[in-house]
Amino acid sequence: MIVVDRLTKTYGAKKAVDDLSFTVSPGRVTGFLGPNGSGKSTTMRCMLGLDAADIGSVTFDGKRYSELDQPLTHVGSLLDAGDAHKGRSARNHLRWIAMTHGFPESRVDEVLHQVGMSEVAKTKVGKFSLGMRQRLGLAVALLGNPQTVILDEPANGLDPEGIRWTREVMRSLADAGRSVLVSSHQLVELSMVADDLIVIGQGKLISAGPISQFMSQHAKTWVRVVSPQFDALAALVIAQGGTVERTNEGGDFHAVTAIQIGEIAAANNIVLYELSPQTGSLEEAFLDATDASVEFRGESAVSHNGRGQ
Amino acid sequence: MLRTFRSELFKMTTTRATKVLLGFAVLLPVVIYVLTLIYGFDGGEMGSPAVVNIASGAPLVALLLGVIGVMCATQEYSQGTIRITLVATPNRQRVYFAKLLTTLYIAVFSTAVLIGLSLIATVIVLKVRGVQFELIGNDARVLLSFFVLTAVVALFGFSLGLIFKSGPGAISATLLWPTIAESMVFGLLSAATTHNFFRWAPIQNGFQLVSEFRFDDYNSWNVSALLFAGFVAVFAVVGASLFMKRDA
Repeated sequence: MIVVDRLTKTYGAKKAVDDLSFTVSPGRVTGFLGPNGSGKSTTMRCMLGLDAADIGSVTFDGKRYSELDQPLTHVGSLLDAGDAHKGRSARNHLRWIAMTHGFPESRVDEVLHQVGMSEVAKTKVGKFSLGMRQRLGLAVALLGNPQTVILDEPANGLDPEGIRWTREVMRSLADAGRSVLVSSHQLVELSMVADDLIVIGQGKLISAGPISQFMSQHAKTWVRVVSPQFDALAALVIAQGGTVERTNEGGDFHAVTAIQIGEIAAANNIVLYELSPQTGSLEEAFLDATDASVEFRGESAVSHNGRGQ
Repeated sequence: MLRTFRSELFKMTTTRATKVLLGFAVLLPVVIYVLTLIYGFDGGEMGSPAVVNIASGAPLVALLLGVIGVMCATQEYSQGTIRITLVATPNRQRVYFAKLLTTLYIAVFSTAVLIGLSLIATVIVLKVRGVQFELIGNDARVLLSFFVLTAVVALFGFSLGLIFKSGPGAISATLLWPTIAESMVFGLLSAATTHNFFRWAPIQNGFQLVSEFRFDDYNSWNVSALLFAGFVAVFAVVGASLFMKRDA
């Protein structure tokens, strides 16, 4: 279990992380979300002792990272796929890391096989695509067979097969009782694998808890209805306080539940072809939750007068 | 500690830049020396003259090993691997000493190879000419000083590397201070006063360690060694302190 307690980190006048507290539980994949510049990477670096926190602490099963004996056997991390010497082979890159813990060379070959890089083990890192470097970074994270895994954008640059493979690796690690903390901007992917979410903005905690809780708090919900008597149903629902948005085939009802609509339809002998509760995407929920804390916001690609930029 | 040292040594010896630079630092002076030995002398007593010739390349070799020292410190920052290094070994003191030991090991080992090859070549060439080779006078001290010079200049480069974090900046400082800047600074001080400040130029004192003869304007071997090592020690302390504290 990772426990982040009142973590604060300042660079000059800027507070990158501000009194941040959360926990990452074993057996669960925890997504770590936040807009650019929100302090995710700084938090991860502080967790691993790369940056010194001003205040607060991070512990792994009760111990600070610097107190861990053979740290790679406790915590595996991937912070940046580019953290490898371009002139060194993939195998040699893993070998020097393995040497720090006395891992046998057979373990290096095992993880290379695990990430599907046995064929290119002797190829220099400089010749790898971003996706291959991500796989190598994952191999580094898995080298010590750790209890906790911290991954910063692990699917960045991977092809669809690689993304699915990454998802499966995270899931299998969590299913084996490990704690997995993963930062990603690929929200669709994250929504498919994460059990819990930590959302931060401008260094502060916005939300922490199960993904279902986050979605119920921040995602829009509505009811999609298709009916040959749609206008009649719409009038009845509006009278009950609901709102309607017409679509090609029917409409979306807001501020009422599917049960309420079903009862109204039944009471008035209205035929329904479709009555389905809808929930917005994780992306929409994330944008809703972090709207107030977005630091860097781009302009629309189309200007207000309608001409392309 | 041993594991960290092995890892650091492996890192340094698996990059092309290190191999090329070590080739230049060790083999080039040996080749030049052997050519000088073959074509520059026509026999005669070959004790001190041979050692003087071997040692004449010491400042250049030391500067090249100083660049190796810079690389030992900065390569990881430029390639981003410093983060993995510190994640694998969070004890920064251990990482610092492993890197320091790697730098000194490479410097001393390279110097030993260079001197060894040069002496073997000397013995062979002189034997062909029917001359017996033996170390005489200050020869042993000069050869020992060769090791001191290369190790301390490598430490100088290593320390500047940790201070600058950037390879080009640290390499420039490692090469320009001993060859140009130090002479200018101490030369100007001497010109502005009646005192011979140049006598106290620290790296020049280091270069004088490998001199077979002590001239009047030289300090004694011990004073030169102290001045040289003390100057580099200041940078070593600053470099170590920054490495321990700095965010990675």
